[in-house]
Amino acid sequence: MAIDSGTWINVGFYIYVSIAFAILALGFNLQWGYTGLFNAGIAGFFLIGAYTAAFAITPPTPPSIGYPGHLGGFSFPLPVGAVLAMVASGAVAALVALPTVRLRADYLAIATLAFAEVLRIFAINLESITAGTIGIPGLPAPVEFNPPDAFLNATVKVAVSAALILVLLLVLYFMAESPWGRVLRAVREDEEATMALGKNTFQYKLQAFALGGALMGLAGWLFVITLNYIEPTGSSAATTLGFAPAVTFSVWVMVIVGGAGNLRGSVVGAFVIYGFQWLSVQLKDFAPTELKEGIPYLRLMIVGVLLIVLIIYRPEGILRERKRVLR
Amino acid sequence: MNQTVGHPILRVQDIHKAFGGISAVDGCSLSVAPQSVTGLIGPNGAGKSTLFNIIAGLYRPDDGGIWFNDTRIDGLPPYEIVHLGLSKTWQIPHELRNMTVLENLVLGAKENSGEHLLNLFIRPGEVRRDEQRWRARARDVLKLTQLAGLANEHAKSLSGGQKKLLELARVLMTDPALVLLDEPVAGVNPTLAASLMDLIEKLRLEGRTFFLIEHDMNVVMNRCDRVIVMHQGRTIADGTPASVKANPVVIESYLGG
Repeated sequence: MAIDSGTWINVGFYIYVSIAFAILALGFNLQWGYTGLFNAGIAGFFLIGAYTAAFAITPPTPPSIGYPGHLGGFSFPLPVGAVLAMVASGAVAALVALPTVRLRADYLAIATLAFAEVLRIFAINLESITAGTIGIPGLPAPVEFNPPDAFLNATVKVAVSAALILVLLLVLYFMAESPWGRVLRAVREDEEATMALGKNTFQYKLQAFALGGALMGLAGWLFVITLNYIEPTGSSAATTLGFAPAVTFSVWVMVIVGGAGNLRGSVVGAFVIYGFQWLSVQLKDFAPTELKEGIPYLRLMIVGVLLIVLIIYRPEGILRERKRVLR
Repeated sequence: MNQTVGHPILRVQDIHKAFGGISAVDGCSLSVAPQSVTGLIGPNGAGKSTLFNIIAGLYRPDDGGIWFNDTRIDGLPPYEIVHLGLSKTWQIPHELRNMTVLENLVLGAKENSGEHLLNLFIRPGEVRRDEQRWRARARDVLKLTQLAGLANEHAKSLSGGQKKLLELARVLMTDPALVLLDEPVAGVNPTLAASLMDLIEKLRLEGRTFFLIEHDMNVVMNRCDRVIVMHQGRTIADGTPASVKANPVVIESYLGG
């Protein structure tokens, strides 16, 4: 083997979790970077996608001693889970958008943040549906090898994630850089003026919010098929994030750092910001004992300083929104 | 315009609008004749801009009715009013800052199939044709408004006067029968203002109607067929520029001795 199996599994983990974050960032970019809708409930749409996918694709899990069981267990094929996750998150996003996208930006943020927290608290407490804090184990991988092979498993997960993000970038580019996407950017620039140009801006905001929500649901699905287990509190060893508001804040930083209004920027931002988190975990093994416990906090400080420097010197992000020259 | 002259293209009847305790428009009635250039003047705070916003559907009146070509439009959303052929510009330019001048114009397109998400996937040919057609139309309008050289500049980089031109260019893209212009030459240098008003005259001869708020008395007296004067939320005079100029009530409240 050319590279050490353990290293590849580790790097593979970094790649597919970054891609899940990149999809969240793309959803938020569509909502905020393009349309100006500041969604503070990203974690909530992520949660809906993840749980919908988990219900759909896991095998039946009846309640037993020590496990309350959970909804579903339909053993659907993984692509069906992806569609269901997108439909569920997209539909809920549309429902949330109906009363809220008319609100001013700051009130939209408050409403969506509250929505996501309510969902998370439901996920923690509705044990008969979500298995509560115990979470849902036994999530199927894209391909189950027999005998189990961690190296091949990681390779397949990387391949599936990479293919997904490439297809998404192409489709989203086609949509966002179309006349339709141009109206979204006009809404972001000045909604009243866009209305006075004959556009039903509410419809566009609704569509952008729902599509962004559907993307966040898809990220939830990818999360589920690449990790072994999900639970709602954020203590999961896998990402230390779960579905807490910290997920939302991370995605904001990814889109700001990567560049709002630039699709590739979202992917770059996700790899950079999640890269800090992943590196801090990797470095823990090499750091001197007295530093070990401090590394996660050091990471937060570095990301914070990076954000401040970036906002002062390059507020448009690493990949700035480009000027659309029409011929 | 297959209307008999004299039948108004716009009729505003007894419009009231209050913000909190302040009555901005207080029983305003007026009408605008088709193919005219009609001026609306009055002191600051008379309710002129508020009235324009009400006509364009951006504010909902508390009371009263508005008819455009005999269609009642008060209560309709702004985009439907635009589709009927009534558009407005802003006193302070509302350029879409981080978009190019050409993009600003193409957004005024009346029916651009690519602006509907589904069409992108099911009618790609039509989307491409529509987009090319509107871009060509936008380039024509840019030539007309002397902005052709700035087509691919960000709107935010334009000067104040150029932004005023952009306002007019963009509103023309919606192919309006009636245009409400909120101070079209404020902050525009005299030469540009004159050519802007020449353009308005030319467009009027093509059959469009202009209803404009303006404080530049040179423009109002020389370029308008008819002048309406608003004061404290209602009309106090209405007539030819000469008659309005001589009206003692107007002199007292607005023009000054």
